[in-house]
Amino acid sequence: MIFKLAFKNIVGNGWRSLINVFILAIVLIGIIWAEGMWFSWLNLAKTQEKQWEYAAGIMRAKNYDPFDAFSWEKGYAAIPSAVKPYVESGRIVPVLFSPAVIYPQGRMLNAVVKGIPRHQKLVRIPSEAFTHASEGAVPAVIGKAMARTARLKEGDTFTLRLKNSGDAFDALELQVVKIMNCPVPSLDIGTVWIDLDSLLAVKQLGSVATVLVLGDFGLTRLPAPSFRVIPESEFFADLNQMVKTKASGQAMPFSMLIFLAMLAIFDTQALAIFKLRKEIGMLSALGMTKTQIIRLFTVEGLLYILLAIIATPILGFPLFYYFAVHGFSLPQGYDSFGIAGFDEPLKFHYNLPLIICTLLFLILLTVFVSWLPARKIAKLKPTDALRGK
Amino acid sequence: MREIIASLSKMSKAFPTGQGEFLALKNIDLEFGKGEFTGIVGPSGSGKTTLLNIIGSLDVPSKGEAKVLGQLTSQLNARQSAELRSRHIGFIFQTYNLLPVYSVYENVEFPLILLKMKPEERKKAVLDALEWVGLMDKLKSRPAQLSGGQCQRVAIARAMVKKPELVLADEPTANLDTENSLHILKTMQTLNENLGTSFIFSTHDDKVIKFLRRIVRLTDGEVASDDLQTGV
Repeated sequence: MIFKLAFKNIVGNGWRSLINVFILAIVLIGIIWAEGMWFSWLNLAKTQEKQWEYAAGIMRAKNYDPFDAFSWEKGYAAIPSAVKPYVESGRIVPVLFSPAVIYPQGRMLNAVVKGIPRHQKLVRIPSEAFTHASEGAVPAVIGKAMARTARLKEGDTFTLRLKNSGDAFDALELQVVKIMNCPVPSLDIGTVWIDLDSLLAVKQLGSVATVLVLGDFGLTRLPAPSFRVIPESEFFADLNQMVKTKASGQAMPFSMLIFLAMLAIFDTQALAIFKLRKEIGMLSALGMTKTQIIRLFTVEGLLYILLAIIATPILGFPLFYYFAVHGFSLPQGYDSFGIAGFDEPLKFHYNLPLIICTLLFLILLTVFVSWLPARKIAKLKPTDALRGK
Repeated sequence: MREIIASLSKMSKAFPTGQGEFLALKNIDLEFGKGEFTGIVGPSGSGKTTLLNIIGSLDVPSKGEAKVLGQLTSQLNARQSAELRSRHIGFIFQTYNLLPVYSVYENVEFPLILLKMKPEERKKAVLDALEWVGLMDKLKSRPAQLSGGQCQRVAIARAMVKKPELVLADEPTANLDTENSLHILKTMQTLNENLGTSFIFSTHDDKVIKFLRRIVRLTDGEVASDDLQTGV
C-alpha cells in the first residue's frame, strides 16, 4: 500500500519527480563510468606490467633494495643451481641491474643498465633486437621516454660507464637498435637494456641476477635462499595506491553531484510535506499512524533512487557501450607524468560488485535524506495538519 | 436501553495563545447514542470542530473525560488512537480532503487497505459504498475531475466503506449548493437508517439542521441547548 501511494505521489509530482530521477540517473551514470575507467585502468596496467615485467612472479636478490640506490651496485646474487635448468629452458629469465652513467652526444646522464637474455620470450622487452649492431658497439634498447630525455634515436651510439665487480670503472660503446613503446614507465625512464651476457662480461661477473622473472608462480618453491619472492600484492602496491589516489581525487566532483542530487530529493520531500499537510492530516484521520506516514515519505525517496537505477542503463547504455567496445587512448607523452600509459586503447570493464556496493550506498543515502524531512511529520498534530497549519 | 457510543464528561479544551490560554470548550457534558443523527450547531468559533476532533480522537481534552466506544481518548497513545479511527470512526470534511493522486475507487478503498482487508472483500465493500452514494460511473475518475458534490459523495463513501459505528462530519455541506447539499444529506440519512451508523455533524447550515433528529447548540464553547427534533 505504502509503495503504491508513494509511487502515485511521485507520479503526481510530475516534472519535479522526473528531474529528480534524471539527476540521480546522471550521477549514477557518471559514477559507474568513472568506476569503470579506474577499474579498467588498474586491470590494464596490471596486465601490461605482467606482460612487460612481472610475468607470473618475481624473485629479487635479497641484497637489492629498489628504494636504496646504494644497494644497486652489488644488488645481485648467484643464480642457484636448482634454478639454472629453468633459466636454460627459458621458464625463468634472469635480469641484472647496474647503475651506470651514459654520455649521449657528450652529455652526462645517470642511468640504470639492465641486462636481459637475448632469447627470452617471457616478457615483452624486445630483446630479440640485440642481434644487430654496428661493429664494436653493443646493441641497446631504450624506451621512448628515455630517448626523449637523452635525445637519442635509433642508430645513435653513446658511451656507458659502470663499475665492474672489482670496483674498477669500465665502459661500453652502445648503439640504440630499437626504441620501444613500453607502457611501464619504470622500464623506460632512465633505463638502458642490453644483452645479459654483455653486461655480465663488462661487470666481470659469472652467473648472477638481480631479479628472476618466473614463467610460472609454482617456481617460487625452488630453493633459492639468496632471493626473495615478491608477491603480487607487494609488487603492485604502488600501482594500487596510485589508482586509489587518483580515484579519490575524482571522487570530489562526484561527491558534489551526489550532494546536489540529495539536495533535490530533500527539497522535493520537504516541499511535498509542506504542500500535502492536509492530506497528511487526512491520512492520520483515516487511521494511518505517524510511523506509517513517515515511512510513506521515506519510501517515496527510495522510489526516486530505484527509478534512477532503472533509468541508468537505459540512458547510460550508449556511453557504457562506446567505452566498453572502443575505449579511449591516452594522449601522447602521458608516460612523462610517471603514470602507466598504455600501448592499446583503454576499454572499460564494469565491476558488478563495485557497482552494487555503490548503488547500495546511494540507496541508503537517499533513504536517509528522504527520512530527514519526513521526521517533521512526527511533530505535526493531526488537527493542525487538517487545517493546513 | 440507549447504547452510548461517545460521552463527554466535564470536558474542557484550552489552546495556548500569546496572552495565555483560549478556552474553546467549557465543561461539556454530552452523550451520543448509537444510531443518532445529531448536529452540533453554532456560529463560527463556537467550538464545533474542536468537539468533533476530540470525539474523533484527533485531539484530547485539557480537562475532564472523553470516552469513545468505551475508550478514554486521553489514555490512548498515538498508535491506539490511529487504530480507533481506522476501525470505528469515519470522517467527512468540509473540503473533502480526498487524495488527489488516487482515483475515486482507490480513495474509497484506502481505509480498507489500512485495515488489511482481503482484496476480494475490499472490492465488494468499495463497490457497495460507491453504489450507496451513486458514483458507480466515476470509479476511475480523479478528484480533480469531479464536482464539489461528487467529491463530497466520495468522501461519504470513504467514511462509510468500513461500516464504522460513528461518522463525524465537519460542515459537510458548507462548500455545496442547495441541490447537492440536499442530495448529500439524504444519502447520509439513508445510510444512518439502513446501517444504523451514528452521525455527528458540525454545522451552522439551516438546510442541514432541518434533517437532524437531535440538535446540540454551542455558544462560546458551552452547550446552550440540547434538543430532540420531532417530525424529521
